[in-house]
Amino acid sequence: MSLVDSMSMAKPNLESRKKILAKLRGRELINCFQCMKCTSGCTALKLLELKPHEIEKLVNLGLVDELASSDIIWTCATCLKCVERCPQKASPYHVIIALRNLAVEREAKVPEELMKGISRILEIGLAWSFQDVVTRKMETFDRESLRLPKIDSPKESFQAAFMKALEER
Amino acid sequence: MTRIGVYVCHCGLNIAGTVDVEKVTEYAKSLPNVAIAKHYKYMCSDPGQRMIQDDIKAHKLDRVVIATCSPRMHEETFRKAVAEAGLNPYLVEIVNLREHVSWPHAHEPEKATEKAKALVRMGVARVKLLEPLRRRKVSVSKDVLIVGGGIAGIQASLDLANAGFKVFLVEKSPSIGGRMAQLDKTFPTLDCSACILTPKMVDVVKHPNVTLLTNSEVIDVKGFVGNYEVSVLKRPRYVVEDKCVGCELCTKVCPVKVPDKFNEKLGQTRAISIYSSHAVPKVAIVDPDHCLRLKLKDAKKEVCGKCLQACEARAIDFEQQPETVQLKVGAIVLAVGSEVFDALEMPEYGYGRFPNVISNIEFERISDASGPTGGKIVSPRTDKQPKNIAFVQCVGSRDKRFHEYCCRVGCMVSLKQAILAREKMGEDVNIYICYNDLRSFGKGYEEFYRRARDLDVNFVAGIPSDVRMAADGSLYFDVFERGTNKLLEMHADMVVLANGLVPSADIARINELFHASRSSDGFLLEAHPKLRPLECSTAGIFLAGACQGPKDIPDTVAQASGAAAKAVDMLSSGEIELEPLKAVVDEDLCSGCRVCESICPFLAIEMKQEGEKLRAEVIEAVCQGCGLCGAACPTHAIKIQQYGSNQVLAQVDAALAEAQVKGGSRS
Repeated sequence: MSLVDSMSMAKPNLESRKKILAKLRGRELINCFQCMKCTSGCTALKLLELKPHEIEKLVNLGLVDELASSDIIWTCATCLKCVERCPQKASPYHVIIALRNLAVEREAKVPEELMKGISRILEIGLAWSFQDVVTRKMETFDRESLRLPKIDSPKESFQAAFMKALEER
Repeated sequence: MTRIGVYVCHCGLNIAGTVDVEKVTEYAKSLPNVAIAKHYKYMCSDPGQRMIQDDIKAHKLDRVVIATCSPRMHEETFRKAVAEAGLNPYLVEIVNLREHVSWPHAHEPEKATEKAKALVRMGVARVKLLEPLRRRKVSVSKDVLIVGGGIAGIQASLDLANAGFKVFLVEKSPSIGGRMAQLDKTFPTLDCSACILTPKMVDVVKHPNVTLLTNSEVIDVKGFVGNYEVSVLKRPRYVVEDKCVGCELCTKVCPVKVPDKFNEKLGQTRAISIYSSHAVPKVAIVDPDHCLRLKLKDAKKEVCGKCLQACEARAIDFEQQPETVQLKVGAIVLAVGSEVFDALEMPEYGYGRFPNVISNIEFERISDASGPTGGKIVSPRTDKQPKNIAFVQCVGSRDKRFHEYCCRVGCMVSLKQAILAREKMGEDVNIYICYNDLRSFGKGYEEFYRRARDLDVNFVAGIPSDVRMAADGSLYFDVFERGTNKLLEMHADMVVLANGLVPSADIARINELFHASRSSDGFLLEAHPKLRPLECSTAGIFLAGACQGPKDIPDTVAQASGAAAKAVDMLSSGEIELEPLKAVVDEDLCSGCRVCESICPFLAIEMKQEGEKLRAEVIEAVCQGCGLCGAACPTHAIKIQQYGSNQVLAQVDAALAEAQVKGGSRS
């Protein structure tokens, strides 16, 4: 191998890099020239210190393993600003999604809140459950009391298709 | 009675934004002999010029003061304008209100206005004493000397020859083609260098207007613009050019192996050989330092001589002597090019110690099909195909220890070589480029950079401190990567150093020979960085290509065509006008002390014997009017036209006049 991260002694995993590149066809990560515009505008940087340009470069150099097992890839808020604004059409969003897929494949730990989201999709068809509204007088109202239309639970066919898709991953 | 017109220019807001131009104009009206004073937004514009011309006629003006920008900018413009109105063009005085007043004093407008008034007062005092002068015409030779047969010299030769001028092309090495001939492919189109260069080389040698002198050097230059006398030393080839057919039978029998200069000494050739596979002229040459027969010639022994027997054309002549050729030319184009930085000066990268650390020009020879490896990318000294190639940028450039400037080609060369390596070796090789800033500024260059990224060339933002060699001969180095904030240890089995371009070794000699100037980076200096980029400060000498500064091929070719056009512009009428602002010698006062002769930087003063007396004489065409001789002359025998003592002292008096009024003392 032609490269070692001298801090962690990590070596590139060119197989995984190849897999990720294959997923990104048409959204070529390798075109990233490190203008760091993605990081400048990253929503999650301000909250959680996610640095998308570092993720781009690390994957480009093949240093994938550490990333796939790290929490950092799960902090992306998928706001898609970087997709909109990347001057090289090489946005880190798609790379992060590919890394998440890789992490799941390797049965790495996925943040609990995301797993909950999946079960909510199965139950109610949405990633987040309905919220109650709180007024200034601290009274709470749910949808029913506000006379908002009721939302149906997903059909069984949807649940079956969703489960199938999950299993195929 | 002298009638002076004073014209104050606003230069948009450049002057008027600081200087109160109305006040200055009113003040000018109060000065003696001023018949009229006006201000206008853009004096150099057509209506501005017309206003001056109309006033000259209507008010019978015989002198004009124009308070505007630097005379370097528009003196010529206004001289032409007043000449059209019938006034002698040398009766105009330019007062510099922009570079000397409004720009440097932008923060103190009141004082600036006072200074502007003083300068106008001085201009008015001086203009009264100016003398009408005439430009003299001298006839010029229409032949042109071009020094250096690289792509710059070739392009300039072809352009001039096609325009009908006779061209002498002098090249130091045995073949024309220069640095470009050594390259494999060229960025950003990946044209094969030989394919686009060789036809031009052949065109030059076949052109009826071009006389090609290879293996030759300029050794002396005399004369002046339009009439240069040049001596060229033609070194012996020991092969008669007209007889040699380029069959290389001699090379096959020659027993002496010598390092091949064209291939950057990566391969070997023989003591009699043809310089390169596409050399022009395709004529063999004997290396006198290595040929056994020539080395033993002084010992009166005739040894070896195998080539003499092998040569069917009977072209070899060991009795050839150096020859001096005398040329008379009107203009000279300097196209002596540059050299590649020698990485031996920079020990940290191990060039010269580690066999697998190579320079970018060596990579070109390795990658070239006509090179020592037949175009196969292998390490030249270990013969192995690399699996990991690392390029290190900015070697010798952007480095205050060596050369502070950017070499302007290193980034593109490495991108090209990375692409060539990927194309030749496919996915089997990992390619890394360690860089400072990647500069891909030219037309199609950014797209070329993207092409390299598309081909999975990996860019590492950082430069290694040193390169080390492992026991198995492979190379490794640490580099801190800016994008990831990580220290990476890189392993490579070939490291290519992106050496920059540096002034050629004999640039000092060239500089002296042609009375050129050099900039702080060591390259030849143009007359003005923006407005006269193709000319030397010495009249009649033009610059083309990398001798003026590092350049890629497109820029070199453009500059060469430009320099050729400049030479055409100067010589096409067969005569040139000489600026009359020169030194003149008062023969009665000259004592013949020779101080002026020794001090003149342009060698414009000749001493003449007249009876018993020795007198200085100014060669008008060479004199640049710098004034050194006038200041140095102990008997005040030399005067610079329009800058005589009376003319300068009148200005000094005017400058001090106001000080006296304010109560200052002149004593």
